Amino acid sequence: MELIFGLFAGLASGSVFALLGAGLVIAYRGSGVINFAHGSVAAYAAFTWDELRDMPGETGIGNEGGSIYLPWFDPIPEWGFLKALHINNLPVEIHIMTDPPAWLAMIITLAMSAFIGLLMHFLVFRPLRNSPMLAKVVGSVGIMLYLQAVALLNFGGSNRADDGFWVFNSTSEPIENFLGMDDKNLPRSTPYLALAAILIGALAWALYRYTRFGLATRAADENEKGATLLGYSPQFLAGLNWVISSVLAGLAGVIFLHKTMPNQLNLYVVSALAAALVGGLTSIPGAIVGGLGLGAFASMGVSATSYSWWPEWLPVDGVRAFAPVLVVILVLYFRGHKLPIRGTVGLGRQPRAPATKHPMIGVGVGVFIALLMSNIFISKWESTLTMTLVAILAMLSLVVLLGFLGQISLVQWTLAGVSSFVLIRLASDGLKVRPMDFFVVWGPGLPDPLAALGGVVAAVILGLLIGIPALRIRGVQLAVVTLAAIVAIEDLVMRNRPLMGTAAHTMNPTPKPEWFGQYVGALDEQSNQTDYWKYTVFSIIVVALAGIFVVNLRRGVIGRRFLAIRSNERAAAAAGVNVARTKMLGFGVSSFLAGLAGMLIAYKMPMVTSEFFSPFVGLAMIAFVYLGGITTVWGAVLGGMLVGGGLFSEFGALHFEGITQAYINAVGGIGLIANAILTSGEGISLTLTNQAKALIATMRGTTPKTDEQEELVVAEEANV
Amino acid sequence: MSKLLETNGLTVTFGGLNANDNVDIGIEKGSFVGLIGPNGAGKTTFIDAITGFVPTSAGSVVFDGHDLSDLKPHQRAQLGLVRTFQSLELFEDLSVKDNLLVAAHQTTWYTLALDVFRIQQKSEEIEERIDWALEVAGLKGLEEELPTDLPHGQRKLVGVARALAAQPNLVLLDEPAAGLDTAESNALGGHLRGLLDHDVTVFLIDHDMGLVLSVCDFIYVMDFGKIIASGTPEEIRSNPEVIAAYLGEEAGEVQARSAEELRGMSDTAGE
Repeated sequence: MELIFGLFAGLASGSVFALLGAGLVIAYRGSGVINFAHGSVAAYAAFTWDELRDMPGETGIGNEGGSIYLPWFDPIPEWGFLKALHINNLPVEIHIMTDPPAWLAMIITLAMSAFIGLLMHFLVFRPLRNSPMLAKVVGSVGIMLYLQAVALLNFGGSNRADDGFWVFNSTSEPIENFLGMDDKNLPRSTPYLALAAILIGALAWALYRYTRFGLATRAADENEKGATLLGYSPQFLAGLNWVISSVLAGLAGVIFLHKTMPNQLNLYVVSALAAALVGGLTSIPGAIVGGLGLGAFASMGVSATSYSWWPEWLPVDGVRAFAPVLVVILVLYFRGHKLPIRGTVGLGRQPRAPATKHPMIGVGVGVFIALLMSNIFISKWESTLTMTLVAILAMLSLVVLLGFLGQISLVQWTLAGVSSFVLIRLASDGLKVRPMDFFVVWGPGLPDPLAALGGVVAAVILGLLIGIPALRIRGVQLAVVTLAAIVAIEDLVMRNRPLMGTAAHTMNPTPKPEWFGQYVGALDEQSNQTDYWKYTVFSIIVVALAGIFVVNLRRGVIGRRFLAIRSNERAAAAAGVNVARTKMLGFGVSSFLAGLAGMLIAYKMPMVTSEFFSPFVGLAMIAFVYLGGITTVWGAVLGGMLVGGGLFSEFGALHFEGITQAYINAVGGIGLIANAILTSGEGISLTLTNQAKALIATMRGTTPKTDEQEELVVAEEANV
Repeated sequence: MSKLLETNGLTVTFGGLNANDNVDIGIEKGSFVGLIGPNGAGKTTFIDAITGFVPTSAGSVVFDGHDLSDLKPHQRAQLGLVRTFQSLELFEDLSVKDNLLVAAHQTTWYTLALDVFRIQQKSEEIEERIDWALEVAGLKGLEEELPTDLPHGQRKLVGVARALAAQPNLVLLDEPAAGLDTAESNALGGHLRGLLDHDVTVFLIDHDMGLVLSVCDFIYVMDFGKIIASGTPEEIRSNPEVIAAYLGEEAGEVQARSAEELRGMSDTAGE
């Protein structure tokens, strides 16, 4: 009974998975991009709707309501003399009318979604159409970060409760004793939601099945060149498909709003991806059925947890999060090779990965500067410095896996979290770490290098497990698996009470770490102050060693093989490279580095929470290391300084008020996209190096005449 | 002489089509064997089957006494059975020399440790082999170039050099001369003959009849997935079946016939 009711109740969330999944399918068929930002489009639309319908005085935050916020922010902060100059004129807020009717608000919201779809097409995916897969994935991750940050800036981070639209509301009387089941009340909106998903899905299916536009899209999907020869512009079709996809996302966001908060929609993309995969990335009815089925399946699983036979170590949230992961992995594993690879015209080259020639000089300078900034000399920057070091270490793990081996894994930051949590669990002994701690964590109380080893090993094992699908599936499909894995690990491992201890995900104090008699924690025991200098020195040593490790890896035999696999797996196998084992080695090495980062975090923070390892922090890490340069150690160093909490951004925040985390992420998202488009993803560090080399060459006068000069000479001669 | 590579009843099926149908060949150690056939005859599929890139539906491949049925492509390469690709398949982000080094190094479980502690693994022997491979392919002086910066013909040769760097016992060359001009093609032929002095057996696939006939000791001819003839260059040259398959049965006659048919059709249309 419980299970059957669970099945029906799950159709509500299933319908939003279905609609989002259908939108993903449409965007994929239209332009060959799996849009990780799809949930964020829905979220932005949901915010827009809520803001429009916000009655004056209702929330008490002072919102007037009836305004729309365009999907950008004013780049010139309002401070100092700039404020006096009134030069910040980029319109963001437009007031429509106070208390607009629901139908008008709906039209405006869908128009906003369409507008975002057009912007995505023209500003991101059209310029990236011939770029390598990594650049496209990074582009959509950039949009995800950007939209989320802009939503935070424009609408505020406050939790919103919205009654919903039309029949999709939370205020109607529920259907009591549903299907004759006692005490089972089904919200009245649930059947409407399911109906809406099926109806809209059928309409979209008919559009692509029976119209000329649909035929042309399918033709371009099969063969872009062929469609061009037949007189269709694939880019025009792609743009139109982006609009349709985004409008569907907006629709899903609004009709589901009464059940959730807009911010939550960002990560619905994981379940939506699972739904789209059930439809083989090409079938809209498949995605609709997949979405509804997934919702029902997950909800049934949640119902099952109330039975006594359900194992205690499988928490409710874990089940909900694990359902899409299971679907994603099963579909990709069994049908991965059958999924269509869209027929695009040749993809561009991967970013270069030059070997660093003299790492010791760089490491020496880096360590010197880091020591100079540490407490030993100045006290102000200690915390930021160590945060930067942690980010650099996490990014080194990304350089190995994404940069060298070319495996688009989004999960590494979460692995750092796993390492952190396991370390604390192993080091705890059931005693209060500090007098003020509310909770104690039980554990075997291992001495510290051993506990740290345990954490790192846990990260490596999990990393290898996630790497297994990579033996069968590649490219963007791996990104899908790893995104799903992030959500699952967060709920299944980090927030798992029996596994990690009571309240581990909210309050997880780190026991005193000692390495061979030396205290290396950031909390000074005597003065009870943070940022103890020994921790800083310890982090500097760990990160410096990791940097040398990665440089040497790149210069060695294995690094060359990583690059060979990134470039061409077939050829690598033909050259005698064991592709499967080498890939696993890469996943292992990268997870090892991520695990070390987790260790540093555990030692740094007074207590570790799962929020610190949220998916968006992980995506920001990828964004910024890609910006710095995904293929070099210097890229990781630069990325670590740029990322929110790093030296550059903290410096900015300190000296220019108004630069918040949201600004940094928004700028990061833009930078990410710009980098993918402008420097073919080589990042700031390589671009700077190239510029510097060119400059030196010019100063030495070794560059040959440019074409322009030569043309001038030719023209002059012709005149004579 | 012993057979280095032998296929027995090798069959590859795609859907209902036999791309390779019951193919038996034998390559003797130290020989220079060719395989020719018109486009679509199944030559590349045959190489793919031998090297493990497509699954076989029947038959076996025996290399140097090992049954290859259960071995993966990289394991076959490690045994010394190395191939090139018709469609380049180079490591485009790696320099020419790095392309060769990927193939030249053998790794063990502790290679990562050697890398990290910078323990030199470039033995004299590997350097020499790479030198020699570059020499044979005529790529000396281009070690640091990226393959994408080279003209098509030279890129093809990078593939050949990479195969040679892997220390092959038998190298399967899939149309190495396609895209080369006549002079380059002749020079390559000369270099390839020289491989025999280095204990490398060569299996050359090409549809440049001239090259194959001039450098090979023994030639197989494939058409519609079947071996239709085999023998020395002289025998192949005069084999009527080969001429029919390769040039089209009395090419002129066919052309004449089809032209006549066309005329007939237009006549009926006119009426």
